[in-house]
Amino acid sequence: MRFYRDRRRHVITTQTEHKCVLDSCRYLQQEGFEVTYLPVRPDGLVDVAQLADAIRPDTGLVSVMAVNNEIGVVQPLEEIGRICREKGVPFHTDAAQALGKIPIDVNQMGIGLMSLSAHKIYGPKGVGALYLRRRPRIRVEPQMSGGGQERGIRSGTVPTPLVVGFGAACEIAAKEMDYDHRRAVVLQQRLLDGIRGQVDDIVINGSMEHRYPGNLNLSFAYVEGESLLMGLKEVAVSSGSACTSASLEPSYVLRALGVEEDMAHTSIRFGIGRFTTEEEVDRAIELTVHQVKKLRDMSPLYEMAKAGIDLKSIEWAQH
Amino acid sequence: MAAVAPTRGEVLSLLRSLLRTARQFSDYNIREYTCRRATDAFRENRALRDVAVAAAAYADGKKQLEVAKRQAVVYSLYAPKAKSIMEMKLQ
Repeated sequence: MRFYRDRRRHVITTQTEHKCVLDSCRYLQQEGFEVTYLPVRPDGLVDVAQLADAIRPDTGLVSVMAVNNEIGVVQPLEEIGRICREKGVPFHTDAAQALGKIPIDVNQMGIGLMSLSAHKIYGPKGVGALYLRRRPRIRVEPQMSGGGQERGIRSGTVPTPLVVGFGAACEIAAKEMDYDHRRAVVLQQRLLDGIRGQVDDIVINGSMEHRYPGNLNLSFAYVEGESLLMGLKEVAVSSGSACTSASLEPSYVLRALGVEEDMAHTSIRFGIGRFTTEEEVDRAIELTVHQVKKLRDMSPLYEMAKAGIDLKSIEWAQH
Repeated sequence: MAAVAPTRGEVLSLLRSLLRTARQFSDYNIREYTCRRATDAFRENRALRDVAVAAAAYADGKKQLEVAKRQAVVYSLYAPKAKSIMEMKLQ
């Protein structure tokens, strides 16, 4: 997808990108491309000045996701797009999590390429779309060779029911964006207030102002994330994204934010969608508070912290 | 065709039909959503005075009722046996 010409050998992306983008970048590196992984600020946002500095004459692509899948942070697309336009570099954005949730204007934001996915907006699973700007023209190499449909961009037959379903889902998402957004804001606030009112030492991961309200990523100090997940078997939450579920490593996204290892281990991601009810949020609060309190009662670390001992100062015996 | 504003009775009858249809969804989340969305939309449009706008909103509601009726049947054909966790405690 991200092949350009032989004279452009450099790609810029961020450290908090979705696994699929990072893996594609690693593949490009194996092919001999150079990739710059931009660090992000503690609130999860890209430093736009740093991005501008990273652009070289041979930079062929800048890829920054619109909404982060783990922490829900919305990147400053408009500024990034403006810089890319000034420097003549194509701008790709992974808008899978943003579609139907925040307004996107490819012209205003200077987006050259945009990846979209249907199942994130209650559309059918197994279909997505790639927006390609025509003026100035962005050329891509097809993933599959064959019939060369759509001016050689793509080959093969498109599944009509999925495509129509995707279109219908987009139409509804656009119509319902305001309503869904208002509701997500209310529920997120309810969830946050409910948990914060009963449990202390909670950290919200990622910027709260530049955030899509359907996502809440919290770290509970002195609690082990996987134990909390096991305890919360009635709530569908995750300690990272499903895409990285194979490893017990703390989330690389949180590590990129500079979150300490122990706090990254205790993070839980709550998702709020169109069909989430108040009662479900209340139940989630009740169960989470119960589990966190239970785990903290068992935790010697919590006891020590409450007794005023700085855990960072302890020298643990090496085995 | 001149737009005719729906009467109060017609509007209330449409809302009742929507809520009645919503109750037929077997899925907890969709049932709750349909009820909530219908009520919210009617509350939002309560202040509509413009005849054409009110008629359009009424027509849209009619269309949504058709969708809900159809989908309630379709979803019931493929309803999973597992209930939502929210319903288990309710019983």
